[in-house]
Amino acid sequence: MPSTVVHAGFALLLAAGLLGAYYDRRALAVLLVVIVLPEADSFLGLIMAGAHRTVGHNFVLPAVAALALYYDTRVRERSLVRERLSPRWISVAWVALFAHVFAHVALDWTHLDGVNVFWPLRDRFFQLDGGIVYSTADGFVQTFVDVRVDPETGSRTVDAGAGGTSETVHVNTPVQPRDPDVDVDEPVDRRFPIANSGWRLYLIGLGLFALGARRLQGDGVGDDA
Amino acid sequence: MAPTLVSAAVGALLAAALLGRAFDRRAVAVVVAAALLPRLDAAASLVVPGATNAFLHAVWAPLLVGGALYLDTVRRPAGASALRDRFGRRGVRVAWVALASFVVAGIGAALFAGEGAALLYPLEDARYVVRGRLVFSTQEGVVQTFLAPDGDGPGVLPLGRAGGTVADPVASWINPDGRPGFDPRADREFRFVDGGWQLVVVAAAAATLAVRFGGRDGDTTGDDGSGASDDGVSR
Repeated sequence: MPSTVVHAGFALLLAAGLLGAYYDRRALAVLLVVIVLPEADSFLGLIMAGAHRTVGHNFVLPAVAALALYYDTRVRERSLVRERLSPRWISVAWVALFAHVFAHVALDWTHLDGVNVFWPLRDRFFQLDGGIVYSTADGFVQTFVDVRVDPETGSRTVDAGAGGTSETVHVNTPVQPRDPDVDVDEPVDRRFPIANSGWRLYLIGLGLFALGARRLQGDGVGDDA
Repeated sequence: MAPTLVSAAVGALLAAALLGRAFDRRAVAVVVAAALLPRLDAAASLVVPGATNAFLHAVWAPLLVGGALYLDTVRRPAGASALRDRFGRRGVRVAWVALASFVVAGIGAALFAGEGAALLYPLEDARYVVRGRLVFSTQEGVVQTFLAPDGDGPGVLPLGRAGGTVADPVASWINPDGRPGFDPRADREFRFVDGGWQLVVVAAAAATLAVRFGGRDGDTTGDDGSGASDDGVSR
């Protein structure tokens, strides 16, 4: 994974932009919990094969949560959530969901084997990797989704970075530092990455910068007119 | 260089995060423009050798502007600030955020995710990059390679180096081979995104702006019927 610190950094930046009047320490604390929690599927990996990057890292559960929240707070006449939570915490929940999708799942999607995008509907890891370039020689070129047409049969294959299933993919974590199916006779090295490349350090720095700048601005919202 | 779109996206995210009540279309446009301003030095490289990622990526321009802003808006007695007189407190806020965007989204993107920034140009001829890793390992302890105190090549800052500004010029859309002289027939490349994470950052920025400009419809801007400072929070 890009480390949890990277997720948290990017999430802080997003939250500073989205929380508006509800930007305060308590809201940020909730947000951090939401960012850290999905990593708990690392521990699930001890009992369920390939659980990390599967149970807490997919787009299906956030979509279900968003639909449920929308239905309950906007469509239904009597809202279960509204009876229990003030508007402030409903807004925070939306921001947390947003941060979970963009700062956590989407970032992990781009890394190593990616995430199990459609789990539990479909068990297949996808990895987002590529680029979009316009060049005067080749025009627009994008390499995120590879569409290939077989010249003989005319059949089309689309490769959006699909990899193995939760059976075959193991993403190393400090909890499970290596694939349990592989036997090696070495002392176990548990590595806790903080930032494994410049851009990850950049995302951490962006979050801290937003946090610091908001402090410097005072209450952050109301002092300017 | 780090793609233009990434700088713009980071600038937009900073605008959303820091503008507060000054957040509106115009202010966001100013802040995003400030994020893109440093890469105009690619145009200067058509005349001055090695100006790309150096001319406007050095620390001097932001120091100067920051100093002037500080003097004008903080040190002067209330009512004497030229900027505040002209554009109001809102203008002061936008100016500071634009400066932050210039440094963080413009220079920072080149430094951390692009071909480097010549921070001390023209005093020295070295382009710095921040590359490496920071890991805690149970076998090796803390491993960090971002700071390189005894790096090779010229330059005094303890950072990685991507070569000299003149010897290894940065290619760009404006100047494909990085050397002075304009060649209309050169093959030009404009990179929108380079790698999955950049696509994620761009998408997140687009979504954030959509939510913020969505106003009433957006659930996340904190204007959810509570009546707390209804207007001005999200627009």
